[in-house]
Amino acid sequence: MAQKYRLTYFNLRARAEPTRLVFAAAGVEYEDVRIQRDKWPDLKPNTPMGQLPVLEVGGVTLCQSMAIARYVAKETGLAGKTKLEEAQADMLVDGIDDLRGRQAVIRKASEDRKEECKKELADFAPDFLSKYENLCGPHGHLVGDSLTWADLVFYDVMSKVLVVLPGALDGFPKLAKVMDTVTANEGVATWLAKRPDTPH
Amino acid sequence: MPAYKLTYFNARGRAEPIRLLFAAAGIKYEDVRIEGADWPALKPKTPMGHLPILEVDGTTLCESTTIARFVAKRAGMVGKDDLEEAKADMIVDGVKEVFRKLLTMFFEKDESKKEELKKDVFENTLPECLRSFGKLANPSGYFVGDSLSWADVEFYNLMEMVRPSFPGDLLKDNANLSKVIANVGGNPAIAKWIKERPESAF
Repeated sequence: MAQKYRLTYFNLRARAEPTRLVFAAAGVEYEDVRIQRDKWPDLKPNTPMGQLPVLEVGGVTLCQSMAIARYVAKETGLAGKTKLEEAQADMLVDGIDDLRGRQAVIRKASEDRKEECKKELADFAPDFLSKYENLCGPHGHLVGDSLTWADLVFYDVMSKVLVVLPGALDGFPKLAKVMDTVTANEGVATWLAKRPDTPH
Repeated sequence: MPAYKLTYFNARGRAEPIRLLFAAAGIKYEDVRIEGADWPALKPKTPMGHLPILEVDGTTLCESTTIARFVAKRAGMVGKDDLEEAKADMIVDGVKEVFRKLLTMFFEKDESKKEELKKDVFENTLPECLRSFGKLANPSGYFVGDSLSWADVEFYNLMEMVRPSFPGDLLKDNANLSKVIANVGGNPAIAKWIKERPESAF
């Protein structure tokens, strides 16, 4: 029987991983399609905006990774309990992109620029994370008192930042608690253990 | 006393979609515009050190797209179910991508690089965006369902921003998108706001 949800991306974590984490945390099954690069030119014109990931559901094809992740979060009860909580989750997800971008650029940088990019991340992170520490709730969740997709997106970005800056969460106990809460989630833990190993 | 207080600079910029939505929904709000000189004192009091912010129900939201989505939800302009809401979200995300490229172009100081970026936006970014979006809007001129949503408003605002740098009828062969523009611009409350809003350079 075909799955209700069909997610298509490359064989990478990158922009599809937040959605995969939401499905995992919620324990909801989906088709996790990973295409080879050489198949992409044929598929591209059949996507809404010429990009991946896409999510096929109910005869509709969605694109834009955060629109997809938010939709799956809503469908699985991980978007926030009130409209205000949903907005708080949204803003924390939007904001984290500044940190994500500065980490992602390291991988793409030429060898002679890599150290400079790492330093830029190291300079940027403390001030940024102190704002998030301020906004973070005390329960091991960024928003409210239960898991939302904001926690999962934060985890996804932060786990990559920690590879470059292992001490980045020192002095930010609430954010560190969010990381623990996410990895302690049974669905997430199972997924982390079994997900395909990919370069990024 | 309005329940909403929007704070931004005296500009359309990242706040204008929010103001358009408040207008379309007929929701009263405090439209605070600060002077550049007052920003350093306010900055540390904002959630993430940038504007716009929206104070509502005892909390402060930031991130212009988040605020616009929140106001649109309160206005019933997001779509009728999760799937429609997701379609609106993806359109707005697509709009944001073009907006970011425009900003990069606007702020480029090197003249020859700026020309290169402008050429890329005109020859690649805009045509591709308008081609995709033209298929995503329906023939009645709505991105979602059959009534005005925030996706339509965000697209309208984008085209307003594009026009000064790229005059000419970019939508002349795009019936669906031309209708989206007509639907938004023809909305009486939006038309009234556009006529009466404060003048600003951008």
